[in-house]
Amino acid sequence: MNNYYRSWPITLLLTIISLPLLIMFIFQIIDNFTNPAPGGIWPSSFTLEHWRFLWETPKTGESYIWTVTFNTFIFASTTAIMVTSLSMTSGYVLSRLDIPGRKIFLAGLIMLHAFPTISLIVAIFLTLQIMGLYNTLLGVILVKSALELPFGVWIMKGFYDTVPWEIEMAGIQDGASRFTVWRKIILPQVQPGIAALLIFSFLSGWSEFVLPLVLAPSSDVQVLSTYLSALILDDNKFDFNLFKSVGTFYAIPVIIIYIVFQKKLMNIYGGGTKG
Amino acid sequence: MNRINWFGFIFISPVLIMVLLFFLTPVVMTGFFSFTNMSTSTGIKGGEYLINQETIKEIKKYNIQKDTIEKLQNAGYLIDDEGLKIVSKKYKESLSNEIKSFYLGEKFLKRKDLERALKKLKKNKIKKTRDRKEIAEIFKESIINERFDSKSIFEENLIKLEINENDRAIIIEESYTGWTWTNNNFKLIYNLPSSYKFAFYTLIYVSFTLTFNVIFGLFLAISTFYLPSKTASTFRTIWFLPRILPPVLYVLMWKWFTWDTGFISQMSTYFGAAPKNWMMDSPLHAWTVIVLINGFVGASFGMILFSSAIKAIPSSMLYASEVDGANRWQQIWNIIIPQLRWPIMFTTAYQTLSLLTSFEYILLATNGGPGRSTEVWALAAYHTALQNYAGNLQYGLGATYALVLVIIGIIASLFYLKFFNFKDLVIKPRIEG
Repeated sequence: MNNYYRSWPITLLLTIISLPLLIMFIFQIIDNFTNPAPGGIWPSSFTLEHWRFLWETPKTGESYIWTVTFNTFIFASTTAIMVTSLSMTSGYVLSRLDIPGRKIFLAGLIMLHAFPTISLIVAIFLTLQIMGLYNTLLGVILVKSALELPFGVWIMKGFYDTVPWEIEMAGIQDGASRFTVWRKIILPQVQPGIAALLIFSFLSGWSEFVLPLVLAPSSDVQVLSTYLSALILDDNKFDFNLFKSVGTFYAIPVIIIYIVFQKKLMNIYGGGTKG
Repeated sequence: MNRINWFGFIFISPVLIMVLLFFLTPVVMTGFFSFTNMSTSTGIKGGEYLINQETIKEIKKYNIQKDTIEKLQNAGYLIDDEGLKIVSKKYKESLSNEIKSFYLGEKFLKRKDLERALKKLKKNKIKKTRDRKEIAEIFKESIINERFDSKSIFEENLIKLEINENDRAIIIEESYTGWTWTNNNFKLIYNLPSSYKFAFYTLIYVSFTLTFNVIFGLFLAISTFYLPSKTASTFRTIWFLPRILPPVLYVLMWKWFTWDTGFISQMSTYFGAAPKNWMMDSPLHAWTVIVLINGFVGASFGMILFSSAIKAIPSSMLYASEVDGANRWQQIWNIIIPQLRWPIMFTTAYQTLSLLTSFEYILLATNGGPGRSTEVWALAAYHTALQNYAGNLQYGLGATYALVLVIIGIIASLFYLKFFNFKDLVIKPRIEG
């Protein structure tokens, strides 16, 4: 816009209100590699000892970080693949096919999309116990996917809606089946949507905390979020720098994905799922 | 036509099944569970019938016949392998064998009958009356502490003990260990003063956080709009990071910032204040931190929506206002804010609903403390049903707390549906069959 207003007062004001975040971020990184002077918080010496959790074998009763990381990866990636592939198919149906009950499906989709899923946690816990899926990674994956699906289908339907009808008409008039048209002509058109949804649901699974905490509390199916929170709650070894290093380790994939795919993700975050 | 329908059906059915099983079932089940007294002690699958000392205490409170308790405790004498083993251990194996050969499987109603029978033993005569009494006691049968899987078998056993019908009904009800249907949860929530507190805390939580979110979202969107694009995107990234970071890590950073070994305590020591836990030392501080933790995440939601709405304002409009001599404040107030009316309303509606039911950040930060001063409704549901220090998880009561939120969620999503432009959405597809 115009240039005759100075921008530094705004920048200064923004910096001041962003200060708590800035301080937290900066110390989050610094504290991973330094020890503070005794009784203080300013770094005084370089060290890598806060990262020892990566190579030390855990004591009995503690989980091994790499097992936990593996669990988290399985959880996040399976959820992402499930949500994306199922949304890919049913998003297309809801966007393009005149199936019976379409209106009801669409209305239900909007309602579920707005519905606050976390209020179901008590019933989900009991349902999984009855089904015998309690304390399994599979149970958490199924629940997480089901709760993400309305959002995923909604996003994919939106992407399908933007694909021009003419392409599809042409395909069908040339004698291709609806399935072939979908696979060969439509899917390449919605690739940005597929990628965005895949990344988004992977990040969502990677960060998920309440579902694994409630539905799979046992230590052999622990994920990084519950691992870190259990570590913080353990009174026997209180060490903020260790917590922060585990936290950084936990967040590295998130940050990398965010930096690489920032533009793709922004489309989805605009719709927003978190409060 | 038919083939197409099958194609659509196959394509959509996995989603339907998943959503039905793990999304809609829990919605219905929340209502179902809220009418039960399920808890850790009743279990969630069926129960069994068991009379123990606790049950007897409870039964005694009713108006039952005097000898009923006695009948329960004393169900006659049965010669069985278990008793024989004890006899061979305590006395002689030959004695045990002889009793076995004479009486195995036989039942005696009174001790005197059994004692008389024991007198008849030939090889291993029991000389002392006291010994006979003791041996007889070994074979004493009692319904107490015995588990019955089904009601009919349990009742049969009670009938054998000659307990009358009225008392039987009382005993059966009291000795059932499983869950039963009840509407006590609703009465309890209505009568408990604490549930009004939870509702009040939720009100505080939602209104303050929402105000923070909208004001900061607006401020961030408008201020970064006027900044050079590089500076603007730096600030947007800083404010967007809390949303990207895993909640556990984000709250950990706040803990470091506010706890007694953390940043604020350290800074305040330079001013001579003793270090303290700024998050947990008083309800006021706890609330401030919770609103800030949620607010710093929530503000980015408004920021993104408002930013894109501002970008959609035709620049000619803004230029025109400048030519007409409007200063920046007038520009914001008269052009930008009116354009943001809908996004602001949307943010408010959407975030009200998600804040009402969210408890993740509070759980991680204060876990409802200090005391229970930051226990919002959703967290109360979680604590009642899924995690508390007492260890007795009350699934039924917790589900009732959750039901309130589920109902609010359903009503809110119905409104959401109404305000949506539904007609546009259900336009018929253009390719038939």
